[in-house]
Amino acid sequence: MAAKKSATSMKLESVLDLNQASALKKELVAARGKNIVIDASGVERVGVQCIQVLVAASRAWEEDTRSFTFSAISDAFSRTLNLVGVNIDHLIAKESH
Amino acid sequence: MDMNEIKEIFFQECEEQLAELESGLMKLNDGDRDPETVNAVFRAVHSIKGGAGAFGLDDLVSFAHVFETTLDCVRSNKLEPSQDVLKVMLRSADVLADLTNAARDGGKVEETRTRGLVKELEALARGEVLAASAASAEPPAAKPAPAPAPVAAAAKPSPTDDSGFQPIPFSFDDFGGDEPAAATSDPAFEVTFKPRADLYAKGNEAALLLRDLARLGEMSVNCNMDALPRFEDMNPEGAYFWWVATVRTAKGEEGIRSVFEFAEWDCDIEVRGLEENVESDMPMTPVPFDLAILDGDGSLAADEQHHDDHDHDHDHDHAHVAAAAVEAVHTAQAAASVTQAARSAATAAPSAAAAAAAQQANNVAAQAGQTIRVDLDRVDRLINLVGELVINQAMLSQSVVESDNNGASSINMGLEELQQLTREIQDSVMAIRAQPVKPVFQRMSRIVREVADMTGKQIRLITEGENTEVDKTVIDKLAEPLTHMIRNAVDHGVETPEKREAAGKNPEGTVRLSAKHRSGRIIIELSDDGAGINRERVRQKAIDNDLITADANLSDEEIDNLIFAPGFSTAEKLSDISGRGVGMDVVKRSIQALGGRISIQSRPGHGSTFTLSLPLTLAVLDGMVVTVANQTLVVPLTAIVETLQPEADEIHSFGPSQRLISIRNSFCPLVDVGRILDFRPVAADPVEGVALLVESEGGGQRALMVDAIQGQRQVVIKSLEANYTHVPGIAAATILGDGRVALILDVDAVVAASRGQSLKTETALAAAG
Repeated sequence: MAAKKSATSMKLESVLDLNQASALKKELVAARGKNIVIDASGVERVGVQCIQVLVAASRAWEEDTRSFTFSAISDAFSRTLNLVGVNIDHLIAKESH
Repeated sequence: MDMNEIKEIFFQECEEQLAELESGLMKLNDGDRDPETVNAVFRAVHSIKGGAGAFGLDDLVSFAHVFETTLDCVRSNKLEPSQDVLKVMLRSADVLADLTNAARDGGKVEETRTRGLVKELEALARGEVLAASAASAEPPAAKPAPAPAPVAAAAKPSPTDDSGFQPIPFSFDDFGGDEPAAATSDPAFEVTFKPRADLYAKGNEAALLLRDLARLGEMSVNCNMDALPRFEDMNPEGAYFWWVATVRTAKGEEGIRSVFEFAEWDCDIEVRGLEENVESDMPMTPVPFDLAILDGDGSLAADEQHHDDHDHDHDHDHAHVAAAAVEAVHTAQAAASVTQAARSAATAAPSAAAAAAAQQANNVAAQAGQTIRVDLDRVDRLINLVGELVINQAMLSQSVVESDNNGASSINMGLEELQQLTREIQDSVMAIRAQPVKPVFQRMSRIVREVADMTGKQIRLITEGENTEVDKTVIDKLAEPLTHMIRNAVDHGVETPEKREAAGKNPEGTVRLSAKHRSGRIIIELSDDGAGINRERVRQKAIDNDLITADANLSDEEIDNLIFAPGFSTAEKLSDISGRGVGMDVVKRSIQALGGRISIQSRPGHGSTFTLSLPLTLAVLDGMVVTVANQTLVVPLTAIVETLQPEADEIHSFGPSQRLISIRNSFCPLVDVGRILDFRPVAADPVEGVALLVESEGGGQRALMVDAIQGQRQVVIKSLEANYTHVPGIAAATILGDGRVALILDVDAVVAASRGQSLKTETALAAAG
C-alpha cells in the first residue's frame, strides 16, 4: 500500500454513533487533500452513519488521488462493517492506488 | 383510534414491559443465567425505546438506548451480570420507570440521577470491551471465526505493512451464539431494508437491526451504496445505505418482521419468500404444500392444495374467510396492543382458515387470542349487573316459594337451576376482576432497594406466590399499606450489616413477601430476619405515651400488638423513610377498611412476621344478617370474633350509661347498636339480645348488642355514597332476597361512636382526613 510520508494520521473515537457522524465528517473535511492514515483500533461501536461518512470520504480521496488507509482496525469495527455488508476490501481497494 | 389512545396503550404496555424487565433482572440477580431471561430483559427495554421513539419521547429514548447497549453486552456474553452490574441495572430500571411516568404525566426526572446512571451504564459497557479485548480478540461465547489470523494481524497497528488489509472472512455464526444454526431446509427470504434518517434520529441503528436479522438464522447481506452522495454534499446524519439480505430462518416472515418491529415507521421493509432456494434445498419434503405457504400468496395456494377437488368458488370463499380472519385479528390486535403487534405471528390462530392466512399476517401476535384489554368500567358495570341479577333471582325464588306450596313444581326446579347459573356467572365475573398480586410485589422490590440504599443496609427481597389472584380493587388499595410495612421492615426490622455480623447473622438481611389463598381469603405475609420487636422499648414507649399504665401486666403478644395503637412510633428519630411519624395504626386501619385483618408474630433476634388476611373481592361480602329494632343489618363476618348470649349476671353497669359484659374474667364494653344508630330511643335489655364480640381499630374488643341473628349470607355490596349519600355508622348497603335494602354496619365507626365520639364528628374527621 502506498503509505506516503506526508500522510495525516487520525484516530477514530471509540464510539462512532449518530452523535459522532457530524464531528467525524468535520474532521475528515479538515484533512481533505492530504493522504490520510486512519487508526480504527480503538473503535468499540460504529453506526451506519459513520460508516457512510467513511465510505463517502474514501471515494472523495480516491477522486483526489490521495491515499485513504486504515493503519489498524478493531474487531468490533471490522465486525460491524462485515455485518452491514460494507466490504473492508472495498474500502482498502481505494487507498492502495 | 386517535394518537392519544395509542399513546395510552403504549404506556400500558410500558408498565408491562417494566414489570417484565424488573422480574427478569431479579431472576438474574438470583443467579438465573438462562439466555431467554436476558433476552426478555433486553426486549423489554428495546420495546420501550422503540415505542418511545415513535412518540418522540427523547429523554426516554436516549436513556433506554444506553441501557439497551449495556444489556446487549450481557446478552452477547461480553459482560457478566454480576451483583454489582445488576445493581446498576436495577437502578436503571427504576429510572426508566420514572422516565416513563414522567413522559406520561408530564413530570421531570432528576437529571443528575439519570446522567449518573448513564455514565455508570456506559462504563459497564466500555469496561467490559477493554477486558474482553485484553483477554482475546473474540468474545468468550462466540465461535472461533473461520480465519481469525488476519483479524488479529489487522488489529495490530502496522502502518508500514504494505500488504494492506486482507479480506476478513466473516461468519454470521458470531452473532448467532444464542440461536441454533439454521438448517438448510429453513425457508429463505429476501429482505429489502431501506432506513430513513428518522430511524437513526430516533435512536435505532441499522447495524443492530441487521445483526438481529442475522441472529434469525443464516444471512448474507448486500449493501446498496448507490444513493450515497458525494462526500462534500452528504449529510452525515442522512440515511443513504440500504440493504438486500437473504435470510434463511425457521422463524418465517413474521420472525423477520419482528426484528423491524419498532423501526417499521421509519424504514421501508420488503420481505419476499424465495421459492427457488427452498426447492433446491428441500429434497425430501412434501414440497407443494410447504412451498405454497412460503409463497407470498401462501394462504390461497395452500388452500388450493387442500381443496383440489372442490370447485373454484369454494376455494374463493375460503380465501375470503382467511382474509377476513386476518383482518379481524389485525383489528383486535391493533386495539389490544400496539407494541406487541409485530412480535409474533398467530401461529395459534383460531380457525384453520386463519392459520393458513397467518403466514401473510405478519403483525398478528399469538397473544391476541389469549388476552384482551378491557376498560375497567365495563367490567364493573357487568359486575354490578350480575349483582342485580343475583338479587333479582333471590327475589324471584322467594316469591315463588311464598306462592307455591308444592316444592316439587317445575317452576321450582327451574329456579334452582337459575340459582346455580347465577352463582356461576357471579363467580366467573368476579374472576375477571381478579389480578395477580405480582405488580404490587414488584413495586416493593424497588422500595426495598431504595430504603436499603438510604439506610446502608443490605437486603434481599424474596417474593413468593406472586401469581396469587385477588380483586383489582384490593390490589390497588394494598400497595400503600404494604409499602409502609416494607419500609418499616427494612428501616426498623433488619439491622445494619455490622450489627448483623456481630449477632452472627448473614450481613445481608432477608425480607420475605408471600401471598397465598386460604379458605376464601388471601393471606399476605411479610417477614424479616431482623432483630424482632424490642418489647422493652415498645412497652416503655407505650407507657410514655399513656397507652398503658406503668404497672400493666401484658403478654408478649399484647406488647407486640401495641405497635398498632394510634400514634405509636418507636423510631427514635423520625426518618423520612418510614413516613411522617404515622405508624402501623394507619396500616392497620387501611387493612381493616379493606375488610382485612393484620397480625404480628415476633421473635427477638429472629425477626418479625406480619400476616394480612384480606377478602378476595370487595364486591361481595360474607356477612352476618342481624335484626336491630326491627331493622335488618349486615355485620361483616371478618369483624366478628365470636357471638354470645349474655346472661343477666354477666352484665355490669359502669358509670351513668355504660355497661360492661364479663367474658372469661375480663370486661368488655357493651355497645347497643340500636341506640347508637338512633333506631330506638332507649337502650334495650342486653339479656334479650345477642352480643357480637368484635375487634375494633384500637385493638380493643367491644360487644355489639343486636336483637337477633338471622343467619350468615354472602351479600352483594352496593355503595350508599354512589346511590344515596353517606350515612354515619353505615359502610354500604345490600339488597336482600325479599327486595328490601339492608344496611351494612361500619363496625369501627360504631365502636368509635360508643367511645363518646358522636357519629357526626367521626364523619367530619373522616372527611377532613
